[in-house]
Amino acid sequence: MKSFQAKIRFASVLLFGVLSMNFLAAQSMRPGVGGDTSPDGHLPGGAAPVRQPAVVQGNGINYHGGPVLQGNPVPIHIIWYGNWTNGPKASDSAVTVSLIEAFLASTALGNSSYEAINTTYGDNTGNVSGHLGFGQAVFDNYSAGTKVRDAALAGIVSRAMTAGLPNDPNAVYLILTSSDVNETSGFCRTYCGFHTHATINGSDIKYAFIGNVDKCPTGCEAQSTGPNSPAAGVGGADGMINVITHETEEAITDPDLNAWFDASGNEDADKCNFKFGPTQIAGNGSHFNQTFGGHNWLIQMEWENSRGGGCDQTLGGPFFTN
Amino acid sequence: MAIRNFVPVAVIAVAAFLSGSAQEPIKPSLSPRIITATRQVVIFTDLEKQMLRAIQSKDQSGLSKLVSDDCIIEMPDADPLPCDDWMKTVLSKDYMLKTFVVRQLSVVDGADVMVVKFDRVQQSSFKGKPDGGEFFVIDVWKKDGADWKLASRFVSKVSSVPFMPKADVKPTGKQ
Repeated sequence: MKSFQAKIRFASVLLFGVLSMNFLAAQSMRPGVGGDTSPDGHLPGGAAPVRQPAVVQGNGINYHGGPVLQGNPVPIHIIWYGNWTNGPKASDSAVTVSLIEAFLASTALGNSSYEAINTTYGDNTGNVSGHLGFGQAVFDNYSAGTKVRDAALAGIVSRAMTAGLPNDPNAVYLILTSSDVNETSGFCRTYCGFHTHATINGSDIKYAFIGNVDKCPTGCEAQSTGPNSPAAGVGGADGMINVITHETEEAITDPDLNAWFDASGNEDADKCNFKFGPTQIAGNGSHFNQTFGGHNWLIQMEWENSRGGGCDQTLGGPFFTN
Repeated sequence: MAIRNFVPVAVIAVAAFLSGSAQEPIKPSLSPRIITATRQVVIFTDLEKQMLRAIQSKDQSGLSKLVSDDCIIEMPDADPLPCDDWMKTVLSKDYMLKTFVVRQLSVVDGADVMVVKFDRVQQSSFKGKPDGGEFFVIDVWKKDGADWKLASRFVSKVSSVPFMPKADVKPTGKQ
């Protein structure tokens, strides 16, 4: 009889223990506990952000288990490769350098409602912050020549680190080449830019190639004269900015090529490639669809991973098909 | 004597080997990267898929409007095939195109003439027998008013075994 009561007591204690553990676990798994959140997951009034569920599926793009970049902000470093003083095209210039660095500032793209679209992506530890910022830049005077192969890009990044860029696996490095440089794996024939990653100087470095699109304006520019063109037909800087936007969005949400992409292999920006949504007309007759950092810009829409998924210009904004 | 004979033979053999290997470039491996496709790649990927979907659905008018009147298809060891004859075959009940993938598409921009290269992988059958595989295709598209029409196709079968990527495969840059 005593033995039976002891078994009951033991079972009760065990049951209590299991239920207690479940209760505690459930508390830590509840999303958004502690206050209302704004659409981008940040508490109003500058309070500490509350993470929404990091992995939300079922919006036309799928998570495959890899990490995202969660930096707040994600640093964007630039390697200006080639001749960015007086290259063969008018856009191979200091004006382009200045404009692109201004575009990537933490007070421009880095703090925009456009960039906030990226907060709808995350991994099992948290979401993308929706903030990025221009880090540092170095100039590379054709260290790999004018015909650059994919395999040479890691060396260019490595030399840039020697020249002063930090070795940061949580950053994105942009290799921006002047118009006299040909990336031999298909720049202008297949692509306007690409992103990838590799182990460089012992770190998993995320980097992207973007060439001066004035080399192939019909293939890689939405318009030959952009909202920031210094003269008619000098659209390289604005065209590069559109491709830079595409690559940085993807490098943040799919840095190791194993996080966010759909059944066709398309990442978030691929799903809205060269789709801009409604535009306005600037003083020089060009189209633009964003204004921040004191400039107008024409940049492609981004795939929002919520509300069923779609291309939009700002987080929570209307979806457009073109 | 034997060595004297061997030397010229060896020289000829080495020269033949070198000249033979110099005929074709060394095939570079595919780099893992995700690209921002050019506008032409976007446009012509869509046109190539429109053609394949028209074949799938036996849509004669849909296919005809993408093909020029003087279009021909060229293959190794064969006379040029008029596209009209090709369309009759692929639109017939004997031909079934089940699935297809268009990948590694690139475009050489010649303003009113575009040279489009891609790999096409398909599962298909002709008169009930498997007819699929992997094909290397070069299409020449010509501007016709506001539209593009296929003027010439150069096609070669790479493999009879179609490798259809599974859904949600890791991107390789091939897509």
